[in-house]
Amino acid sequence: MKIIATYNIKGGVGKTATAVNLAFIAAQNNFKTLVWDLDPQGASSFYFRVKPKVKGGSKAMVAGRRELEGLIKATDFENLDLLPADFSFRNLDLVLDARKKPTKRLKKLLTPLTHDYDYIFLDCPPNISLLSESIFEASDILLSPIIPTTLSLRTLEQLKKYIKDNKLNHLQLIPFFSMADKRKKMHREIMESLAEEHPDILSTAIPYASDIERMGWERMPLGAYVRKSRATEAYMALWQEILGVIRLT
Amino acid sequence: MIAIPLHFDLPKNLSAKKFINKLSKNLDIQLSNQQYTIKILFDSFDWRLYNADIICEFNHSNSASQLSLIDRNSGKLLALENMPDMMRFTDQFPKGRLRTTLAPVLEMRALIPLCQLPHNAHQLNILNKDQKIILRIQLDEHELIANQLHLYPLKGYDKALKKVTNILQNTFDLNPTKYSILKAGLKLEGRKPKDYSSKFRININPDMRADEACKKIYQQLIQVMQFNEAGTLADIDTEFLHDFRVAVRRTRTGLSQLKNTLPTKEINRYADFFAWLGQITGPTRDLDVYLLSFKKYKEVLPISLREDLTPLYTLLKDKQKHAQKKLTENLSRSEYRTQLNDWETFLTQQPITKKGKKNGIHLTVKQLADQRIWKVYKHVLKEAKDISESSPAEALHDLRKTCKKLRYLLEFFQTLYPEDDMKIILKALKKFQTVLGDFQDYEVQEINIKQFSEEMMANKVSPNTFLAMGVLVQYLDSMKCQARAEFSNQFALFEQAENKHIFKNLFSNKFSVKK
Repeated sequence: MKIIATYNIKGGVGKTATAVNLAFIAAQNNFKTLVWDLDPQGASSFYFRVKPKVKGGSKAMVAGRRELEGLIKATDFENLDLLPADFSFRNLDLVLDARKKPTKRLKKLLTPLTHDYDYIFLDCPPNISLLSESIFEASDILLSPIIPTTLSLRTLEQLKKYIKDNKLNHLQLIPFFSMADKRKKMHREIMESLAEEHPDILSTAIPYASDIERMGWERMPLGAYVRKSRATEAYMALWQEILGVIRLT
Repeated sequence: MIAIPLHFDLPKNLSAKKFINKLSKNLDIQLSNQQYTIKILFDSFDWRLYNADIICEFNHSNSASQLSLIDRNSGKLLALENMPDMMRFTDQFPKGRLRTTLAPVLEMRALIPLCQLPHNAHQLNILNKDQKIILRIQLDEHELIANQLHLYPLKGYDKALKKVTNILQNTFDLNPTKYSILKAGLKLEGRKPKDYSSKFRININPDMRADEACKKIYQQLIQVMQFNEAGTLADIDTEFLHDFRVAVRRTRTGLSQLKNTLPTKEINRYADFFAWLGQITGPTRDLDVYLLSFKKYKEVLPISLREDLTPLYTLLKDKQKHAQKKLTENLSRSEYRTQLNDWETFLTQQPITKKGKKNGIHLTVKQLADQRIWKVYKHVLKEAKDISESSPAEALHDLRKTCKKLRYLLEFFQTLYPEDDMKIILKALKKFQTVLGDFQDYEVQEINIKQFSEEMMANKVSPNTFLAMGVLVQYLDSMKCQARAEFSNQFALFEQAENKHIFKNLFSNKFSVKK
């Protein structure tokens, strides 16, 4: 079982699309998969047509009064479940802060689910906060989408420094390019130079594609409404590459 | 927790179309798929999945093939995977839940089709106002059995299941039933679950005439041979041939140990026939055993030599293929068919009614069983006591054969005696047989592997292969010595007072001949 958080300090980089589409591919490959929508905006819940509502809200959930198992909703796809978001998740930082050992909390809540799933994707809100620290503690892999812009280098380095400073040795950071537009000279150049400086960036890039943008309209993972396209193939290649680099523990 | 699926049998007059139309009046239904599908149910020949409460279904249509494992009691789905082709052995399955569920239950046994159920599968989704699926329904419109309806609840949407169940009860007068597909499918084939077991058990009336009872025993044995014949010819699972051979051996034991119950002419004829059958099936079984042991052979070698043993596997596989071909030829011969049919006919004929000198006509089966078992038991004790440290291997082999005779006799007649006592002595005998079997098997394997190495010399095999085979021979030899050293301990256990007392108590009564 692996817990994979899709995370970036910056917002709007394709975190939710990554979590939803990779989880869909894993499930199609017969792996029991769960997506936990931790973002109060509830984008992944929206993509799966599940109401962004958790009984008792974030307080009851973090307190463990309601086991996560009871909050899970099946999606329309075999082997793929969702733990929906709730608007109260905007206060998750405060709720966690009120608990003892707040950064360990998420891991504790997830433990009973580890036997039921092969992969758990955590769709995370941006920023570095108490919630993200808790996510880092709970996850095995931090899958970080990077848009090829000048700011990307900074955020990637910030993230690496954070992991190093906080001795999060268990956490494997896997960065990859997202929303890449090869027609743009700047994207191409940044991708080339970043790849040289950071060989850990995956070679598969997710293109900027209207197919992916349509997810909001279709309200389902990309692979469920487009059988074969540049974007679906890129996600499949990305998943294969990730499986190849995941540390065997 | 996800609610368990519910199953319903639909009445004959309710067509799929009519049902869906009626249901649509109350619910937002999406027909997601409609496919002509063939459902094939699988189990191992010895019903391992059934015994573990698992139903294994392979659903094959033009667009998809899926294998699912279902809990036989609750109908709950245990595992489901897309699988383009059905696999026979679990190690051929891709890694995943399905394989991890099946492997410990099936071990080396093959999955064998039990029945085929062609049907039109209508997959329906019940949607909420966001057009999200909240319940899945499958309606199987069968050609051969009653139509079936399955409700598959989705995690987090229990209310939808309740709502639809209420509609089915109130509008259609349908109530959930047990998931009955296996029973219905087997019925079509004229079969029942667990209708075959490798264990021999036959109920005999103690007062039955001995010759009649023996015919009953042989009849059951010929059924076992007939059941396993097709699987033996198709080479699906090594166990078919194994059980076929055990039935042949049991018959041979009967013909030699209970010979006075049938006319001498018939005894001689069929003793020859079954000896021939034992002989022609032997080489394939021996090679099956080597191939089944091959994993173990590799494990006993140092890691650096393990792959060097592969040429031996190739040789064994080739030899097995060749032996199987010969076996198939022999079992396809008309002489085989004629002899077996004649034997079957003979067994159904009325026994001789006029009194003669033959014991079979004068004795009850209980008297015969007492007499034979006691005699063979005494033989076992004598042969075993005569074995010393310096006795040749043949002495142990002969004892092994005598023990087998005793075991088969005990199994033939076990229902004539108290169950608890029989359990104790059969268990003790089995344990004693294990050490004798190990000794023989290791010795034969050691000799044969040496022979195989000579054959392989001609094939330019790498020297490391011979090195690996040398290590293997050394291992087999050490195991053989271990079994030999263990013999006296195991005999002491078998010979202990409790067992002796049971044997004496059950079988040593003097039998009386009817006048």
